[in-house]
Amino acid sequence: MTEPTLQMASVSSGLAKRHKAEKRFRFMALASVLLGLIFLAVLFINVLTSGADAIRQSKVRLDINLQTNDFGGSKNPDIQQLKNANYQGIIKRTVYKNFPDVKSRRDKRALYRLVSSGAAYELRGFVLDNPSKIGTSISIWLTASDDVDMIMKGKVSRTASSDLRRLSDQQMGWLEKLETEGNLETKFNWTLFSSGDSREPELAGVAAAMVGSLYSIIVCLIISFPLGVMAALYLESFAPKNRFTSFIEVNINNLAAVPSIVFGLLGLAVFLNFFELPRSAPLVGGMVLSLMTMPTIIIAGRVAIQGVPPSIKEAALAVGASPVQAVFHHVLPLAMPGVLTGTIIGTARALGETAPLLMIGMVAFVVDVPKSILDPATALPVQVYLWSDMPEKGFAERTSAAILVLLAFVGLMNLTAVLLRKKFEIRW
Amino acid sequence: MEVNPIEKMADKLMSSENIEKLQLPEANNKAGLSQVDLGAKMVTHDLKVSYGKKAALLGVSLGIRENEVTSLIGPSGCGKSTYIRCLNRMNDTIDGCRVEGSVLLDGNDIYDVNRDVVQLRTKVGMVFQKPNPFPKSIYENVAYGPRIHGMAKHKDELDGIVMGSLERAGILDEVRDRLDSPGTSLSGGQQQRLCIARAIAVRPDVILMDEPCSALDPIATGRIEELITELKAQYTIVIVTHSMQQARRLSDKTAYFHLGSIVEYGPTEEIFENPLDDRTADYVLGRIG
Repeated sequence: MTEPTLQMASVSSGLAKRHKAEKRFRFMALASVLLGLIFLAVLFINVLTSGADAIRQSKVRLDINLQTNDFGGSKNPDIQQLKNANYQGIIKRTVYKNFPDVKSRRDKRALYRLVSSGAAYELRGFVLDNPSKIGTSISIWLTASDDVDMIMKGKVSRTASSDLRRLSDQQMGWLEKLETEGNLETKFNWTLFSSGDSREPELAGVAAAMVGSLYSIIVCLIISFPLGVMAALYLESFAPKNRFTSFIEVNINNLAAVPSIVFGLLGLAVFLNFFELPRSAPLVGGMVLSLMTMPTIIIAGRVAIQGVPPSIKEAALAVGASPVQAVFHHVLPLAMPGVLTGTIIGTARALGETAPLLMIGMVAFVVDVPKSILDPATALPVQVYLWSDMPEKGFAERTSAAILVLLAFVGLMNLTAVLLRKKFEIRW
Repeated sequence: MEVNPIEKMADKLMSSENIEKLQLPEANNKAGLSQVDLGAKMVTHDLKVSYGKKAALLGVSLGIRENEVTSLIGPSGCGKSTYIRCLNRMNDTIDGCRVEGSVLLDGNDIYDVNRDVVQLRTKVGMVFQKPNPFPKSIYENVAYGPRIHGMAKHKDELDGIVMGSLERAGILDEVRDRLDSPGTSLSGGQQQRLCIARAIAVRPDVILMDEPCSALDPIATGRIEELITELKAQYTIVIVTHSMQQARRLSDKTAYFHLGSIVEYGPTEEIFENPLDDRTADYVLGRIG
């Protein structure tokens, strides 16, 4: 009689200990999840708050009189005259007219500096689009300089002593006059999404980087997805199990762990120096990134293919499907959700990759938005890196904005992947 | 040049077409095994199979007659499944599997290098232990085989094949109004009958069944057994089973496998009533498991 009770006692005393251990584990697991979430939240809030300002940009409204003399005297000037007109002069004239008491050369220059140096190009673009407006008076919003922008957004205090500001007291006076007259406002910053890089923060945009990233990823996917899936299928379904295939397997696993800059060096040596492909081009960027992505796709693909019950393949073979038909009609579609997950993980990593792109010249200062995969381009993470290095205050918020664009890109890709996976997923 | 004497003799006999049975010179001198029925639908001669270094079949000779149900019984690991998988070359998919000897279907060696496996498998269909419908609609499950073989010229013809196969598999009435729902939504027994419908949709001559009822309850098993008895009229059926009663109820011939060879083969009645070998007797009478 004593034995079973003794045993019960030892079990129940152990039970309390076990319950405690269970609780402790649960608490720690929850704590680590929460800690991760907190870090993520801090990161997001930080980037969002500093990047949010970049989507607005200060603009100055000017009532400009487009005199026919400015365009060679004719009411219908030819295209050359339109292109070569002195737009800077027109803007200067208009600004000076608004502040008639500004007389000295130095003050005039300080006054003009409130407007961005890109304003002349904006006016030129407007006139080229609307040549009929010549000879009339127009009211146009032109980009203000980044110094004005920083004051407007409160990044630089208006009350700070003048040696802490980049604008003098006199310029501050003009700024406030423009503001009270309603001629200085912050508006949606289209430039950020429509133009390439610039030395001036107010003129800089992520378009070149965005398009460059997009092209690179497309090239990367076109190369690595079919190759990766084929390799996974071959290794999993067709390859004989021998030393050679296990050697290949080991190497693919190693390849996935190679530092990305090494792939950049390979790209430089092989694609640029040997095949003489264009430097800084998204084509080469995509090729280098595909080298990096492919092992990930192969590994994830193989796991996904292994997860398909062999009975399905046997069923297909038993009704007379050839091995290739069995694999393509049944195994691959069932493995697709897993393959897509691997592909997304690989491409998301490739999208955020800077190091291999440094090697093949995609760190260029690219002003023009690339029109093809052979044009010089840069990529979003590279743009983030470049802007983070700039001294102007305006670039700080734009760096965050570029990070947000990059995150949105990754988010969009994940969303596509989730939708595709839903489409392929089959409930058993 | 070395020619297998059995094959040589077999060829001769096949051509003369007047003798049905052949005396095997070196066959196991056990009951029923000295004679292999050469007029049978499928004949195996001295079939040896090994997985890597491990031998699974040590030389099995057997004739499987047309329009009969042949049961293969025996303890686990005796080679029944290996044997049945040789009959439509499913063992080809296993790495390191080596097959020696010959398997004849209508007198032609299915392991001949010129033999197309795809064509073979349309002649010899298979139903597996666990129901394995494709995760597609019921219709697609059955239509897949005919479609990849181009058996139907247009939709109506394919519909005909699918409906006919479901009908013959005795499942049409249960699924008629839900052909578009997934095959995996059916119950286990229905899934297995769907798999049988899928197998007969490509119009095979022989249907191999590897423990088709082992995952099913007695009622579903009963339905499958009924179905097998019906199908016997049109097909040659080989079934591996662990259930002695099932073998007895269903089959015309029974072969008892033990450690990679056939110990005894003959009409089911005889195997169960008067087994000649002690090992068979022990097994069928339930003295060993």
